[in-house]
Amino acid sequence: MKVIEKTNKASFSSNNIRLSGYEWLIVGIICSVLFFLGPTLWERLEQFNPEADYRLPSELSNDYWLYKKYSRWACSRYETLVIGDSVIHGPHVSKYDTLPHHLNEIAGSNQFANMGVDGVHPVALAGLLKYYGRDISGKNVILYLNTLWMSSSKLDLNIEKEFHFYHPRLAPQFMPNIPCYKDSYSRRISSVAERYMPFFSWSSHLRIAYFDNMDMPTWTMEHPYENPLKAITLELPTSENNTQKEFVPRTQKRTAKEDFQWVEPATSLQWSFFRQTIELLKARNNTVFVLVGPFNEHIMEDISRTVYQKMKSEIELWLQQNTIAYYTPPVLPRDFYHDASHPSSQGYAMLARQLFENQSFKLSILKAEPQQ
Amino acid sequence: MLFHTWPFVLFFLIVYPIYLALKETKLRLPWLLAASYIFYAWFNPLYLILLLYATSLDYIVVLMMEKWGRKKVWLSISIANSLALLGFFKYAGFVTDNLNVLLSSLEISYTLPAPGIILPIGISFYIFQSMSYTIDYYRGNIEREKSFITYATFVSFFPRLVAGPIERARNLLPQLHMRPKFSRQDITDGFSLFIVGFFKKVALADYLALYVDKIYAAPDKFQSPALILATFLFGWQIYFDFSGYTDMARGVARTMGFNLTLNFNNPYLATGLGDFWSRWHISLSSWFKDYVYIPLGGNRREKFNTYKNMFLTMVISGLWHGAAWTFVIWGVVHALGRVMTRQLERTTFYKEKVPKLVKQLLVFTFVTFAWIFFRAESFSDAWIIVTRIFSSGFANPYCPVLALALIFVVWLYQFAHESRIGWVLDLATVRITIVVLMVLYLIIFASSSEQAFIYEQF
Repeated sequence: MKVIEKTNKASFSSNNIRLSGYEWLIVGIICSVLFFLGPTLWERLEQFNPEADYRLPSELSNDYWLYKKYSRWACSRYETLVIGDSVIHGPHVSKYDTLPHHLNEIAGSNQFANMGVDGVHPVALAGLLKYYGRDISGKNVILYLNTLWMSSSKLDLNIEKEFHFYHPRLAPQFMPNIPCYKDSYSRRISSVAERYMPFFSWSSHLRIAYFDNMDMPTWTMEHPYENPLKAITLELPTSENNTQKEFVPRTQKRTAKEDFQWVEPATSLQWSFFRQTIELLKARNNTVFVLVGPFNEHIMEDISRTVYQKMKSEIELWLQQNTIAYYTPPVLPRDFYHDASHPSSQGYAMLARQLFENQSFKLSILKAEPQQ
Repeated sequence: MLFHTWPFVLFFLIVYPIYLALKETKLRLPWLLAASYIFYAWFNPLYLILLLYATSLDYIVVLMMEKWGRKKVWLSISIANSLALLGFFKYAGFVTDNLNVLLSSLEISYTLPAPGIILPIGISFYIFQSMSYTIDYYRGNIEREKSFITYATFVSFFPRLVAGPIERARNLLPQLHMRPKFSRQDITDGFSLFIVGFFKKVALADYLALYVDKIYAAPDKFQSPALILATFLFGWQIYFDFSGYTDMARGVARTMGFNLTLNFNNPYLATGLGDFWSRWHISLSSWFKDYVYIPLGGNRREKFNTYKNMFLTMVISGLWHGAAWTFVIWGVVHALGRVMTRQLERTTFYKEKVPKLVKQLLVFTFVTFAWIFFRAESFSDAWIIVTRIFSSGFANPYCPVLALALIFVVWLYQFAHESRIGWVLDLATVRITIVVLMVLYLIIFASSSEQAFIYEQF
């Protein structure tokens, strides 16, 4: 064994862990091997056996490493991926009542994967697919647009005042500027590093999946006498009917008529990122079908509804001009909504039926022959 | 810009290659100075005005001493200016609060307005460093630094700007003058120091802070075991936090060919309070010894004066740490401890009969007790903690076992390091294994810390 030189040892440091260049090289090699192989080995070790109608458990919504793994799995088994926010995920209904489930039921086989993620607004969705959805290529994609994210400047992330929105790690960290995003530079750089180095997103996965979305030190504060290593059970939470009855964003919890301050598509940040997502998916050879709404128009003031219709027309116009297949379903019956944008179980069933009757859907997703 | 955050990593990745490219040229020091000012301005660009002012004034004062003589007058101006800066930025609020209490007790209805001054980061460190330069020149211990750029770099050298070590001109100025001749070993030593400091700060200090902050935020809600453990953990937290900072500072400087002073030397293995202060914040202890204790008379006269000087120095040292009575009391507690144990530590009985481990335990217990006053939000909180430690019940403290286990491992490492089996820790496989484990722990498990260093606020 090599022993370090004693010269100047006393003044070096009280802790005296001193490595030579050669020894640092060994440390670098060991760490690099673990850095690159760790996440891959972990994928093999960790049990991940999604059942039919699987959806990412709500508590793992921020686990982008798992999303990447799931999207790879889904791409290998499903024809069509249904991508969107909680409206697709269906946190208020059982997994047997989501839109992808009803689509599968009508199709008679498991063709539609539920790729919904709680709170993933278009700005975050663009980041999610850009960095963690690289495996989604050559597939049919139903891309859901929840116009709720354009219902105010705040939700559109277009205000100067700091606003803690969902999934900040997926938003652009530097350019383009998100006016209400005021995180520290250190956190922003961490988020960027996580996107490009799987090791970091994997270590986030460990925190989210096994330490209740906390880092280990914080977790031990809540479990002071437990062995943190025992928490790593290699078993992920399942998505078995985990309905979140209480998870209702304030903005959606209204029952009285509401005067939504719709943001014009021309200036909307969310809409511009949604368009980028369409371009990205198309560039990856996916067939994209956009589902716009249906938003709960029953809770809108008349003036708000008028502005909403205009906004929807502009969105439709852009989709037509760019030859994107889409469907803007009519508003569902009043009782078929859970809130402003989430349909109830019956609402999802009705929406699925409407989709299967839609000509554009048949052509682009079901690949039906065009009617003469 | 904190050493353990991404902006510093990027900052250093830009500064370092350019420094290497310029190290043989005249642009080396201007570049270091520019980097140091950017580093400091990152906290608040307005701080730069103060730093420039303090630097310029002491530079001019020493210039005047050389050109015009009347050294005492110029020294007085320099010291008065330094103390005024510290007094204004650090102690104005403290003085105002106390005056208001006094006015109120005299039943005078007038209330002085709160000054509302933001304390510039690291002010105590660079002011003390600058003061040491003028005093050393006055004493004839050093030559005047002719170049303003070199002097400004000495005062603001970024690795040590925020929280020391407080360098002496005779150590750092010659290094700034020389063309850096650093070997590969210097660079690897720098990395070694940095990684250990990083681990101490992020994996240990910030972890322990989670428990300490919770208990010290509401000490009246917790009972004896929790209060004892929080105080015990704080003792280690502040050690990891401050020595971690120093290790990182020394590491960064070492990669650039500079040797900064050793600031911590396993202080919790001290066998006496005198020994403790020769191992804890060494650069500050020696500063107070050279510029306060010795000018007061040191131990040159009878014992009473020696004790009086020792006492005063410790109390002033306490006040240096912060503008609050809790820091003064912390200084008083240490002063009393030092005065009472000085003779004891010199006896043959203490030196030879008392087992080393017992001495270490006694010193650690005393130092940890004194930390209560250092950490408590107010004197009343400190009093609550002290009384509740001895009088409250024994409710479950819910202290993470992992935190205690990590402290034990560090203590064991330090203990082994100073014992006969210290050679085991010098084995390459042991050192490599420790570093790999530290790196992996940091990346996988540690929190994404952005907590500031405790000593920055001083």
